[in-house]
Amino acid sequence: MTEVNDRPATTAKAGLEFAGHELSRASLDSCVKCTICETQCPVSAVTPLFTGPKFIGPQAERFRNGESVDHSLDYCSSCGTCTLVCPQGVQVAELNSQARAVMKADHMPIRDRLVSQTTLMGKLMTPVAPLARWALGNKPIRTLMEAAVKVHRDAPMPPAQSQTFQSWFASRPRPATVPTRGTLVFFHGCAGGYFEVETSKKTVEVLEHLGYEVLVPRQGCCGLAQQSNGLFDEATASVLKLCDDLRSSGKDLTIISSSGSCTGMLKHEAHEIMGVSDDRLADVGTRIRDTMEFLLDLHDAGELPTDFAPMPMTVPYHAPCQLKSQGIGKPALEVLRLIPELTVVDSEKVCCGIAGTYGLKKEKYEIAQAVGRPLFEMVKATNPDLALCDTETCRWQIEQSSGVKTVHPIWMIHAAYGLG
Amino acid sequence: MSRVVVIGAGLAGLVAANRLAAGGAKVVLLSKGLGGLQLGQGTIDVFGYAPERVSNPIRTVQALPGTHPYTRVGATNLLAGLAYLKELVPDLLVGDPEANYQLPTAVGAIRPTCLAQPSMVAGNLGAGDRVVIVGLRQLKDFHPQLVAENLARTDLPSGGRAKVRHLLVDFPAREGEIDSSALTYARAFDDPGVRERFARAFIGELESDEIVGLPAVLGVSDPNAWRHVAEKLGHPVFEIPLPPPSVPGIRLNEALTASAKAAGVRFVPGTRVFDFRASDRRVGSVTIAVEPAGREFAADAFVLAGGGFESGALELDSHGRVRETLFGLPLEGADAVPLIHGDYWGGEQPLFTVGVRVGSDLKPLDASGKPVYDNLWAAGGIIAGSAGWAEKCGDGIALASAMAAADSILKELS
Ligand SMILES: Cc1cc2nc3c(=O)[nH]c(=O)nc-3n(C[C@H](O)[C@H](O)[C@H](O)COP(=O)(O)OP(=O)(O)OC[C@H]3O[C@@H](n4cnc5c(N)ncnc54)[C@H](O)[C@@H]3O)c2cc1C
Repeated sequence: MTEVNDRPATTAKAGLEFAGHELSRASLDSCVKCTICETQCPVSAVTPLFTGPKFIGPQAERFRNGESVDHSLDYCSSCGTCTLVCPQGVQVAELNSQARAVMKADHMPIRDRLVSQTTLMGKLMTPVAPLARWALGNKPIRTLMEAAVKVHRDAPMPPAQSQTFQSWFASRPRPATVPTRGTLVFFHGCAGGYFEVETSKKTVEVLEHLGYEVLVPRQGCCGLAQQSNGLFDEATASVLKLCDDLRSSGKDLTIISSSGSCTGMLKHEAHEIMGVSDDRLADVGTRIRDTMEFLLDLHDAGELPTDFAPMPMTVPYHAPCQLKSQGIGKPALEVLRLIPELTVVDSEKVCCGIAGTYGLKKEKYEIAQAVGRPLFEMVKATNPDLALCDTETCRWQIEQSSGVKTVHPIWMIHAAYGLG
Repeated sequence: MSRVVVIGAGLAGLVAANRLAAGGAKVVLLSKGLGGLQLGQGTIDVFGYAPERVSNPIRTVQALPGTHPYTRVGATNLLAGLAYLKELVPDLLVGDPEANYQLPTAVGAIRPTCLAQPSMVAGNLGAGDRVVIVGLRQLKDFHPQLVAENLARTDLPSGGRAKVRHLLVDFPAREGEIDSSALTYARAFDDPGVRERFARAFIGELESDEIVGLPAVLGVSDPNAWRHVAEKLGHPVFEIPLPPPSVPGIRLNEALTASAKAAGVRFVPGTRVFDFRASDRRVGSVTIAVEPAGREFAADAFVLAGGGFESGALELDSHGRVRETLFGLPLEGADAVPLIHGDYWGGEQPLFTVGVRVGSDLKPLDASGKPVYDNLWAAGGIIAGSAGWAEKCGDGIALASAMAAADSILKELS
């Protein structure tokens, strides 16, 4: 290896160049063709259209010189499972994401640009929430959308809300308790700001209940949806802007987020997939914690009050791919087990199928449904009324496809602390 | 409750984690990737060649010289480990430490192994047995004619030969695929309807009294899939393990992982341990390489079950120096000259017996024979003194050493 693979790549051109030629390529020669990634891939398990991570990743990469030799690459959902299970440290998923960005560089479908505009969607939908809810639930309108932009008519869409998290946060009465444990920064993400407002509220209320002061700076999008659709240019600008936003609250504060996938973007994806090498990103990535990870850390340190009210029920829990990729295991499982009489059943399924925006797409919809089917069945069989999952798009997918209401695990903690 | 960190999720790490959690410890299992189980045959080799073919593995172990890892670990721990493992995965492993099975391989050789999956043991052939090896045209990596012809000309370890022929059945695992993997077939065979159709596809071609040898693809999550096929055919069947992805290996890996989780083990996969903190000859914590800053796990005891060269736990640099990559532990056998002799087909390479020297309590020792750290244990392929694939004893050593390390930890921490 002659070149360092951590070269700064903060401009679009450099980002794509990096994607085409450098970062994960260095790990490619470690592949011993053991097939472990193939056995865990949720997509090739349900369709022969995707030839699997080993073939499309380290094997095909040897033949890529800019151009991709095999276009079934686009069927990779970028769930990241292959990288997670590889015993030789090959960055299989990153190789695939980079190759896809290069493959689609000059003919990006409009749909892929649209579905990755998460902030825009939120801003547009909030003021007209009832209307948006109606339109997205309306078959003829969805059929038109499918024809026009190739978003499948049955794919899950975010639930529009009438109030954003920021406006709730600004207008609510000040918390009664005086902070005793210091200050945290809350990163709500686009979904947590506009669609999953309840999850953001509950997270803040739990943190305040534990004795923290919570700051919420104005903040934009992390760019994850753009990144997963190969729009590295836009994604890089978004993620760095977000880092500035989050850093504006204070330099040494721990940042908490209940948006598991956006947290993954800040911790490692922006760097590993797009090659963004910037002190601001490294700083934020080091300080950010997933909410349940943070609670588990507190518990491990003997600092989490466990005066939880009993919750005599059984609920299924699904750990999303982007949470697992962070190398933190499944912290929600550990924390939820502290609630008396609550039985949490781990789905033990690899993926729900949605993989960000993959399962929205007309040509991928059936595959995504097939990927998620064992999970939907498991959820329905475990509790027809309630399921738990840490990331937004996965929750929407599970809820839409199983008919079971699916919420962030913090909802249980919030209830068990008696916070309403 | 005592906290124990186990590093590595191969056979050694999984057994240690299961045992420790069952014994009341709070266990975190860190592993950089999946362990080696699903790259193997899904059986437990205890001793296969010493160097001639072994029929009673436990007796061979009891007669080994003092330098062999088994002598440090002890036959008692091995026997306890075998019993414990059968208890952990009762549907998946059968066998007797006093008698190896002699089972056909995917090239038609005969391989000695101690514990096997129930779906395999009808392949323990006797003289005069009539066997038909059935292949699937769309399955890669299984060639029934090769298996049958080699098997037919092999003298059985128990004497005599079997009468073997082959069949090739046209039976796609899924539409549009002409080279499906063993796992794709196994997932299809989890469906009883597929099994019935499969049996119907060639039952008419079987001759009476034939034992049916099939590639090991008969279901991955349904442990009774093979029984159903045998029932439908009305003939005994046996599975032959394939090169990776090994379905029997996946079954074993998944069952041991599931039982560890059920026992309360916190499994954090995708995490390479790259650093540690120690003081006063005690390890305080290990650090995993997660972006961007790493993450520390503190514990009262640590088990290094990282495997060997193949998993990166041992490394040979371009100067011919071997090192243990995490703790930098002293190694036994690393000074051998040469470490690698040039004769590819010749005797065992000295390099492959290099590893960590352990005491009978499985703590890594320094040159003076004292534990390097008072709360660090080692188990599995990392231990010096044998070449697991040559003697076919790697599984047994992993099992026995994990058992001994776990019990030693539980005793010390209680
Ligand atoms: C080609 C080959 C063929 C073999 N054939 C046989 C045979 O037929 N019969 C037999 O008995 N034995 C055989 N062996 C030996 C046998 O495979 C090993 O002895 C046995 O698998 C060891 O198990 P283990 O649990 O110690 O290691 P492994 O199964 O290798 O597991 C090691 C684990 O540690 C993890 N790990 C490593 N480093 C780190 C780190 N820094 N941080 C976190 N995790 C880490 C890995 O990801 C993995 O999960 C063979 C070995 C090879 C290489």
